[in-house]
Amino acid sequence: MTEMTSGERGVAEEFASALDGVSTSFEAAVEATGGVFSDRYVIAGSLVLLRFASERLREVLGPAFAHLAAPTDDGAAQPALTVHLWDSASTGAPPPPRPAPPGPHAPRSVFYVDRDPLRAVYRPEPASLSLFDSRVAWHWVDDASDIRYSDRASPLRHILYWWLPTQGYHQVHGGAVGFQDGGVLLVGKSGSGKSTSVLSSLGSTLQFAADDYVAVSGGDAPHIASLYNTGKLEPDHARGLFRHLVPLLSNTDRLEDEKAIIYAHEHFAQQMTSGFPLRAVLVPMVRATQRESRIVDITRTAAFAALAPSTVLQIHPVGQNAFTEMSQLIQRVPCHGIELGSDLTSIPRAIADFLGHRS
Amino acid sequence: VLVVNKRGRGGKVTEYPAADARFELSQGALHESIDGEVIVIDLSTGVYYSLRGSGAEIWGILERSPGVRGYDVARAMADRYANSGADVESDVLCFVDELRAEGLVSMQNGNTAANDGSSAAMVDGNPADGFASPVLEKYTDMQDLVLIDPVHDVTTAGWPHTRPDTTPDRKPA
Repeated sequence: MTEMTSGERGVAEEFASALDGVSTSFEAAVEATGGVFSDRYVIAGSLVLLRFASERLREVLGPAFAHLAAPTDDGAAQPALTVHLWDSASTGAPPPPRPAPPGPHAPRSVFYVDRDPLRAVYRPEPASLSLFDSRVAWHWVDDASDIRYSDRASPLRHILYWWLPTQGYHQVHGGAVGFQDGGVLLVGKSGSGKSTSVLSSLGSTLQFAADDYVAVSGGDAPHIASLYNTGKLEPDHARGLFRHLVPLLSNTDRLEDEKAIIYAHEHFAQQMTSGFPLRAVLVPMVRATQRESRIVDITRTAAFAALAPSTVLQIHPVGQNAFTEMSQLIQRVPCHGIELGSDLTSIPRAIADFLGHRS
Repeated sequence: VLVVNKRGRGGKVTEYPAADARFELSQGALHESIDGEVIVIDLSTGVYYSLRGSGAEIWGILERSPGVRGYDVARAMADRYANSGADVESDVLCFVDELRAEGLVSMQNGNTAANDGSSAAMVDGNPADGFASPVLEKYTDMQDLVLIDPVHDVTTAGWPHTRPDTTPDRKPA
């Protein structure tokens, strides 16, 4: 038997103390709320249980997962991940212990703890804490009414990032549309045309899996798994190219400070999919001077440069393993560019044609 | 895209600052090689790089031989491309120094004898004719992601810790 060193004992004690602290805070919220709202979803093929001790937080975060609601007849199945969610403002629960910022920091700083198997991310403003320990996670926010638009559109992003590898998937920054027999992963930094490609597909024959973050499995036959049914747009972009979507936006009263958010499941439920086999990676390229969209050749390096840096920089801490996984993905599936023409209807048409379907 | 290229040619190899120093890849950088090109990302700055030409090959030597002397990298490449007619040694030493200046490789302290192997063992391939000058391209278009949301890793002293609470006592809404 290997004895623990004093340093290891210290870390183990810290784990126990941290978990005790968050459990105590969550139980206080449950007591104040009078119970727990348990919602079941199937994410990346596995059952995920969200236990809300705050109805307000459930109203804010739940809709992004609505398209992945588990069938009602699987009540006996054991979840692969259970997440406890609560806020202090609506429940009066004391905040859980949070990592101490090491000195002065910029207002939007993000603090990470990574001591396998315990992982945590803490944002001081507005305050939120995500904590992950194998099959169980906790997500606390100070005030469910004060959550960044990006976290409303893509809730529990870090917890899912840590959990997905246990299910054979990893999370990447990208959109995904396609058909049940196969689809495409659209990659690129914000502003590259990714959301334009995905949101122009709403109302077309293509199915919607993701706009911003999506799970991709490893292996020789990669599969796309949807995480969120949300789409995000720059407000000017929404008012210009996507005027028909403006009445469907969820946050028209906040567009001075936020990107526009659409919950696609609420308006295009028939187009939602939980995922499909990955047939190709597409890198959008805006071509304002041409009318028709078309698929073009690019190098694998260009596809990797569009996928990996934006994923790595948006989801810290990403290690060399995740970087290598993305490299292997790029080398396993065909990579192309998609030139986005001014006629937005030509985008889903080009993708459907590329996938061998009628648009 | 910025092409980092501060190199001048024609000097004596021993005059290059990278010649006598020993190098290893920096810990804070992730890297992958695809189709003869290396993509490197510096997590602390949000800057990413493309290493083209013989840059990927030089990077491979530095990866396989931590602690290697700059001069030995240059000799290994010069031997492999002896028939190219190019000023391989100075190109390589300048490139290594560019990597150092960008923080992608770091100089080792001390004067240990690690990786003083033969130049033939360092390169990955037989002698070749065509030498493509190493090119370091620098991309800063995603730095905003790091600058807007600065990232900090909390040390062992930072968790768990009940911070002095600035949140007033709350009652259920």
